[in-house]
Amino acid sequence: MTKRDSKRQTPLMKVGVTIAFIIFALYSLSLLFPFVWMLLNSFRSVGEWQESINFSDFWGLPEIWDFSNYTTILKEHNVLEMIFYSVILTVFGTIINVFFSACAAYVLAKYEFPCRKLIYAMAIFAMVVPVVGTLPAQVKFMEFLHLDDTVIGVLFLYSGAFGFNFILLYSAFSSISWSYAEAAQMDGGGHFTIFFKVMLPMCKGPIISCCILQAIALWNDYSTPFLFLNSHPTLAVGLQALQSEFIGQGGKYPLVFASMIISITPVIILYALFQKKIISNTVAGGLKG
Amino acid sequence: MEENLTLDSKVKKKKMTKRRKKELIFIVVLLAYPLAQFLLTWIFVNSYSLILAFQRISLEGTATFAWFDNFEYVIKRLVNPELGAVVLKNGTKIPYNLMILINSLGFGAITIFISLPLALIASYFLNKKMPLANVFRFIFFLPNIISIVALVYAFKMQLDSNAGLIYHFLASFGVNINDSIWPNTTLIVFVYCIWAGIGYNVLLLSGAIGRVPQELFESAQMDGAGNFTQFTKIMIPMIWPTIVTLIVLGLTNILTLYLQPVLFGYDYTETIAGSIFEGVSSGLENQYPRFAAFGLLFSFVFAPMILWVRKVVSKKYSDTEC
Repeated sequence: MTKRDSKRQTPLMKVGVTIAFIIFALYSLSLLFPFVWMLLNSFRSVGEWQESINFSDFWGLPEIWDFSNYTTILKEHNVLEMIFYSVILTVFGTIINVFFSACAAYVLAKYEFPCRKLIYAMAIFAMVVPVVGTLPAQVKFMEFLHLDDTVIGVLFLYSGAFGFNFILLYSAFSSISWSYAEAAQMDGGGHFTIFFKVMLPMCKGPIISCCILQAIALWNDYSTPFLFLNSHPTLAVGLQALQSEFIGQGGKYPLVFASMIISITPVIILYALFQKKIISNTVAGGLKG
Repeated sequence: MEENLTLDSKVKKKKMTKRRKKELIFIVVLLAYPLAQFLLTWIFVNSYSLILAFQRISLEGTATFAWFDNFEYVIKRLVNPELGAVVLKNGTKIPYNLMILINSLGFGAITIFISLPLALIASYFLNKKMPLANVFRFIFFLPNIISIVALVYAFKMQLDSNAGLIYHFLASFGVNINDSIWPNTTLIVFVYCIWAGIGYNVLLLSGAIGRVPQELFESAQMDGAGNFTQFTKIMIPMIWPTIVTLIVLGLTNILTLYLQPVLFGYDYTETIAGSIFEGVSSGLENQYPRFAAFGLLFSFVFAPMILWVRKVVSKKYSDTEC
């Protein structure tokens, strides 16, 4: 805060800002602390945790830093398989979702054709109007197509092109001048060349942002793999099952904590690397929605 | 000469048609899959859901037309405690579907009447040259990127009777968290939703406030307007479109929120969408028509209401946008 800024603030505002600062600091601590606590306790041996009786026992540092919780859950439980399915669904789900969103957004933003406005209106309508209770029909529909309990089925559901990514990319393509396409046309470029070699590279920034946000959403997705890929749980789904399993085995909490830390680490790294892009695009998506 | 001109225009027309054809082929190729997927997963599934709501499925899996029986059953469970109820401490019986409706309305209400005002105040101060403002923004956004399973678990651990910080803090004041009686169970999930959801609102609102020209606040200050007047007469009207978005998202929660109560796993925390999710995930196929009717009935009531509220609230301060 510069001197000029602080001079501009009235005494009442200064008090308000100070109180707000304290509240924000406490709230931030409340968000961070449970995870730091889980991280510390993921290094506590199961035996030490089970022998802990007093409240203070759970809040001190581990007596011996035990890294075996991580190796145990990776080796003895199917966490590696869960990670495999999470990675497959996240990578391919993100690629197909963003690709088809870009296809739909580009065509609707740049070409005139019959039903263009109708398709756009339908996409917005589907996003704005909340309809609940279609889950039974969706389950039966997936069973009918024999897509239930398959990776392809989940990817099919993830490939919906008319979501928030569509809105973001529609606005990104709309803002690009058509003169770039005309220049490419003069050089003999067809529609596909213009799309893949001119327009998509020009929209690289928004596309990367969509990919990051989509990847985080799919990595964390619980409902779709839970309902439609029951035999092969992803990490998000498996965590819920592991909780009951470990806690049922005499309270093996440190193993639960270790699996939680494994699940959140990739997204924390992504967030730390691309936080500005993630935040600005979420804000833009929220406002456009 | 004239013949040549007509020939020219004919060739041009043919070329144009050829070019248009190529353009249309490109449009069809790019839109084919997105439209097919949309038609199948949205139009078809919604239409089928509508049909399902009027069906009866036997244990053998045979479907027959059920007229309005499913809707009648849903409404009866909304008013008749004999068909399933939650019993309060004082012995009052609340029909089960009514409890679900109250829970769902509660999630909408806390978002609009608690999270949103708190986020508004927080965003206002965050934009008043608050030290570490960007650090706070970074941390506030964390619940949005962390898996909801991990987030719910982290929160629940703090309510644990052995290790939980919140549990022991409240116990030191003689307050015992009771996670088996309604509405206490739902209140715990409400607190979680405020805790985890407020950061997103702060982020959206502070982004909108950041786009309000600072000169507006400065000139108001020079005209003698106090902080409260600036907050109510300048800031709120200028960021009204964002507030409308958050109100609509809050109202949508009535119909769509389900994962948080499901993952908490406490008794009597079901919402409209949550009870359908749990019913479907437990594989009660012969109950599917009732779940479809349940969802359809509430969508029929609340979806138009949400659109109407959106229209009405958007009109206020409709000439401002930031």
